[in-house]
Amino acid sequence: MFLNRLILGLSTGAFYSLVAVGIVMIFKVTGVMNFAFGNMAMFMAYVAYTFVEIGTGPVVALLVVLPLSALFGFAVEKYTLRPIRHLSHSSMLIVTLGLLMILEGLSTQIWGTQYKAFPELVGGKPYIFKGAFGIVVFRKQDILLFALLAFVVFATAIVMRYTKAGLAVKAVSENEKISQLMGINPGKVFSWSWVVGTMMGTTVALLGAPKTYISPTMMVFYQLQGFTAAVLGGFDSLIGAVIGGLALGVIENLVGGYISNELKTTFSLVVIITILLIRPQGFFGSREIRRV
Amino acid sequence: MLELKNVTVKYGPVVAVRDLSLLVKEGSITALLGANGSGKTSVLMAIAGLNRISSGQILFNEERIDLIPAYEIVRRGLVLCPDSKLIFQNMTVFENLKVGAYTRKGDIKKDLEDIFSIFPRLKERLKQLSGTLSGGERQMLAIARALMAKPRFLMLDEPSMGLAPNLVREMMKAIQMINRTGVTILLVEQNAYSALKVAHYAYVLQTGRIVIQSVAEELLKDRKIIEGYLGG
Repeated sequence: MFLNRLILGLSTGAFYSLVAVGIVMIFKVTGVMNFAFGNMAMFMAYVAYTFVEIGTGPVVALLVVLPLSALFGFAVEKYTLRPIRHLSHSSMLIVTLGLLMILEGLSTQIWGTQYKAFPELVGGKPYIFKGAFGIVVFRKQDILLFALLAFVVFATAIVMRYTKAGLAVKAVSENEKISQLMGINPGKVFSWSWVVGTMMGTTVALLGAPKTYISPTMMVFYQLQGFTAAVLGGFDSLIGAVIGGLALGVIENLVGGYISNELKTTFSLVVIITILLIRPQGFFGSREIRRV
Repeated sequence: MLELKNVTVKYGPVVAVRDLSLLVKEGSITALLGANGSGKTSVLMAIAGLNRISSGQILFNEERIDLIPAYEIVRRGLVLCPDSKLIFQNMTVFENLKVGAYTRKGDIKKDLEDIFSIFPRLKERLKQLSGTLSGGERQMLAIARALMAKPRFLMLDEPSMGLAPNLVREMMKAIQMINRTGVTILLVEQNAYSALKVAHYAYVLQTGRIVIQSVAEELLKDRKIIEGYLGG
């Protein structure tokens, strides 16, 4: 049973990880905590639902909605946040909060409050393994999820370590002004982080939709846990976000399985607070180097 | 090569630089001297495009650059080496140098070797986080990073700040070496004597205005002026 709980925990955790990575990516580069992250994904999930409704199938819907999400993220950053960038980070944060509410209201207006079902991207029978360890069940959707997470981790590592784009991201996230003196256009880097982050959000929403159903509040819990995972990982580390998410998912499922299902969220948050009391910078957060 | 015509820089209602004109000839080392708060760094930031000017013009090779973004100015070969606090402290020395070469295509190995011949110390520190470097090493890294962009015109913001006297001499020698490779230099300094020893021409800035301009040698002879305006 333990193995199945672990796998279930990892698959829940993979959702948290992907949300956390999206949020951290945007935060690291632009310094903005994007509170609208979940609702932007939710809105895109509704758009995908509309496509499925006219008969395209979920995969085609995803492929149509991904470029739309890219455009959405790009536009939000460029036209609502960039113009007030010189004010302060907290004013940008307020804009994302406003966006969160606008999107929630708008989606209720357009699609109503009834939960909409969304098909799995890959359906079919799960893989079942039997052995001395008992019976282990792998759902195809979970395998897709793990593959996606692995891809994201791998791709990010390659980009950050070996490309000029990665170098630009590091430079801009450390000092936006000075990186301009090196010929880096920070605006471009901001745009990219929003584009990639928003596309990841949409993918998570569509992968989760068969379980959560599509509704205006479908991403609220994921976003909350994504933030928690990010904090656990140290908030400015992408790999920290991944591990934080997986850890959170596993802790939550083990608590749910062995202690009490009602208490699983409470209990897991208590565990995290305890971890943070011992290690305030999270698993991978940078201790800031300051000049004395 | 670089010309400022009646440039004024304001921060809100505060005027930092007033109606400033100056000229830097190709191939020269020109010093811009002044005490703390005289507006030296504001001038540099304006030329580099990080501060917008409120009136006047800045011309680089006859082209107006005061309206284009900072990251485009770098691509024209005009590079600012800022205060050494402004290296990327969470990156390694090598990463800093790679960011410096951001605008360039192709191999940077040869340039790295050239830079290590000026600042051999950096070669030993290549893998180290630059936040852990000493003051002198940071200054070297700041200049090396700027050189990686292959500037035709290099602006240096107080390269001698915080350095021990023997290191200041070494730094000034390095600046002369860089100049001899064909890079025009605008050297902003508080340390007037050291700067005047290597500069060809000098401007003295006081509360945002040019109060003296002269051939560097002449100025070096006139102790009174230096002491009066720059406090020695």
